Amino acid sequence: MPATARPENPYASLDAQIEQLKKCQPLPESDVKALCDKARDILINESNVQPVKCPVTVCGDIHGQFQDLLELFRIGGNSPETNYLFMGDYVDRGYHSVETVSLLVALKVRYRERITILRGNHESRQITQVYGFYDECLRKYGNANVWKLFTDLFDYLPLTALIENQVFCLHGGLSPTLDTLDHIRALDRVQEVPHEGPMCDLLWSDPDDRCGWGISPRGAGYTFGQDISEQFNHNNGLGLIARAHQLVMDGYNWTHEQNAVTVFSAPNYCYRCGNMAAIMEVDEQMNKSFLQFEPAPRRGEPEVTRRTPDYFL
Amino acid sequence: MDDLKRDDSLYPIAILIDELKNEDVALRLNSVRRLGTIALALGEERTRSELIPFISETNDDEDEVLLSLAEELGKFVPYVGGPDHAQALLAPLEDLCSVEETVVREQAVQSLIQIAEQMPASSLEKQLLPLVKRLAVGEWFTSRISACGLLPTAYSLSADVQREIIRGVFQTLSQDDTPMVRRAAAQCLGPLAEVADAHTLSSAVAPTFLKLTQDDQDSVRLLAVQCCGSLARTLSRAECQSTVVPIVQRFAQDKSWRVRYNVAQQLHVLCIALGSETSRSEVLPPFLKLLRDSEAEVRVAAASKVASISNLLDIDAVTKLVLPCIKALAADSSQHVRSSLAGVVMELAPTLGKAATIEHLLPVFLSLLKDDVPDVRLNIISKLDQVNQVIGIDLLGQSLMPAIEGLADDTHWRVRLAVINYIPLLATQLGAETFQQQLGQQCMRWLEDQVFCIREAATQNLQKLASEFGPDWAKDNLVPQVLAMVSNAHYLHRMTVLGALAALAPAVGHDTLCNTMLPVVLSCAKDKVPNIKFTVAKMLERLVPLVDAGIADQAIKPCLQDLADDADVDVQYFARQALISCETVTAA
Repeated sequence: MPATARPENPYASLDAQIEQLKKCQPLPESDVKALCDKARDILINESNVQPVKCPVTVCGDIHGQFQDLLELFRIGGNSPETNYLFMGDYVDRGYHSVETVSLLVALKVRYRERITILRGNHESRQITQVYGFYDECLRKYGNANVWKLFTDLFDYLPLTALIENQVFCLHGGLSPTLDTLDHIRALDRVQEVPHEGPMCDLLWSDPDDRCGWGISPRGAGYTFGQDISEQFNHNNGLGLIARAHQLVMDGYNWTHEQNAVTVFSAPNYCYRCGNMAAIMEVDEQMNKSFLQFEPAPRRGEPEVTRRTPDYFL
Repeated sequence: MDDLKRDDSLYPIAILIDELKNEDVALRLNSVRRLGTIALALGEERTRSELIPFISETNDDEDEVLLSLAEELGKFVPYVGGPDHAQALLAPLEDLCSVEETVVREQAVQSLIQIAEQMPASSLEKQLLPLVKRLAVGEWFTSRISACGLLPTAYSLSADVQREIIRGVFQTLSQDDTPMVRRAAAQCLGPLAEVADAHTLSSAVAPTFLKLTQDDQDSVRLLAVQCCGSLARTLSRAECQSTVVPIVQRFAQDKSWRVRYNVAQQLHVLCIALGSETSRSEVLPPFLKLLRDSEAEVRVAAASKVASISNLLDIDAVTKLVLPCIKALAADSSQHVRSSLAGVVMELAPTLGKAATIEHLLPVFLSLLKDDVPDVRLNIISKLDQVNQVIGIDLLGQSLMPAIEGLADDTHWRVRLAVINYIPLLATQLGAETFQQQLGQQCMRWLEDQVFCIREAATQNLQKLASEFGPDWAKDNLVPQVLAMVSNAHYLHRMTVLGALAALAPAVGHDTLCNTMLPVVLSCAKDKVPNIKFTVAKMLERLVPLVDAGIADQAIKPCLQDLADDADVDVQYFARQALISCETVTAA
């Protein structure tokens, strides 16, 4: 008898797009448009403090280092088998912002329960015009449409996530205007990242050794001391603040006496910093373990320590 | 071209033409990239008489626009009316050959070459050759550099009479006052040697090579050296020995390490051209010197050729002269040198034969396997199989086993991966009993590695072991151990167990599969983590074709149906997919 026609897989084209992206091949503009439309419908329903279940693997900045994102999956496991929470900064600086953000958004659309993507300070129209994502879109698509599609989508990304009511995850840090999670829930997040104010602080602030609030050398957000972290965790019944945003040489860094941790997932940041990357696995018992990794080996790079600079030739 | 705007069908073309002069560089770029479309719309005649002169005026544009223009013009022969009219394209490209930006010039030269290859002989002589001559005497060094790039093609396409002229141009350029031009001349030595006839080789190429190798700029010498290989290939053996060999010997002692570095990379091709005996007497001494060079970079380059050159020499020379150097390199202070050596040293084993490999190379392997630098260890471990054939895995296994056991827990995960990939080969040689004693537990430990890729490779490894040692062995030695891990507290490890069970399923008997393994997989469908539940669905999908239809209907399908009603969308999806493929299997 003729084989019974297998019902069409509703995800066939999306799965094909994910496979294409994993080969570091950008999608056509029309596919990006469709993808962003679907992603917006999902993200708009997520909370400013998106609840996340354990087990989950928490990741920091990626910054367009696509080969290293693949290395991250080699270490941590593939999506959807491993649950992931990314804390922003997918674009800028690396060579493959387009492929990186396309893949993460595609995975979000395909497996919304298995992956959470937060907003970083680089997920913004202004910053991406300075640090590379805009230029990369222009170079790869010949126009700025894809940049516009993604930066419009970025407005819908949740600002923070909360794992099992215990681990509070966000890109930057705390804000003097936000004492409780409910304050954050009340923000209207669908907009460009402002230059100041609570939403800006969540994406820009850094923990600091000094107590209290300080002026951030970045020119946006604040620095906050251990007392602030302890108070915030106490007020909200939290055990830990997990954040990204800062280069740390080991890929992760405990601070504020274990009240906060920084996770940074771009190894050899900007292809020159020499740092390790890390991801934080939070298991079913809420135990945290860190996996460190180095940059993925790149083909065609000779092992010579002093290459002949081209300008000599 | 204003009349275009009046014709509606040509309106988009008129816009593109307008935009060639637009203030916005992105728009100009876009127009240039679609120059072919414009030409097609205008027709061949107007492309030649209007479009080409029009774009010839854009020479002071942004480099990015000029680069695209140079690239597009290379594909333009069909648009101007085929090869007979190709000369129309030469003028704008000639202008681009003298701009300041290197990439634009290089692209213009490439495009000219593309066009020249399509041009009829008559216009080559009347158009291309004068163009090359004009560029060669250009006031700016930029055009003279471009002239060098065109020489090999111009030469290969020309008749004898014109070749004489090209030889003259080449010799003049190679004595240019500007080092940049001499560099360009040095760079075209190799390509020119590949196409030159014997007369040109000995009257122009070889003498110029000699002259450039004496240049006082090391950047010129450096580039001249790079054509040693091409020259050695094309010259007769005698000429090679009289021309190239002395140069190589001298350059191996050049005061610039970059020159020595490049020499080191050319020696292999030279040895091929010279044959074993001459290589031993003429090339080996400088090669040995480079292996002991004071600069690490040079030693890296030389070390990477140690096997390919040795394999061209007689064993005696290798044992007496090269091996001592190899032993020294294995303890080199530079990790890059050791890594380079580790990448090739295995390839020496076939040449040396069993006894010499055991005596001389094995200690080198062992010391490199214990190197502090992961790359060095990785290079050795990933090529161990090449040595098996020579000394037999028995011996290799015995001497390397302690090292392998040490590397099994290496901190660098790619080293662990290379060890795992080597395990099946080791298993075939060691036999079931010895293997189980020495490596059995390790194979299980890898399943619980922190790194996903290692867990996955460990799973594949189990499958290979099971098919090597048979179902009964697997049932006793693999299945119970794997099943014991199913209560691991970490969901990713439970997932590995499910993967391992599915991987083992085809290699164990039906009884073991249905009575021992299947119940465990089914019990995981009650796991509290959705990821485990959908993995169960995926694994059951793989098991269905392996079990009797009755078991599929009574045990697997009900489980999948439960999962298809799960609260989690991903569990639902994968369970439904599995059910669909169940139907296909049962239907078949």
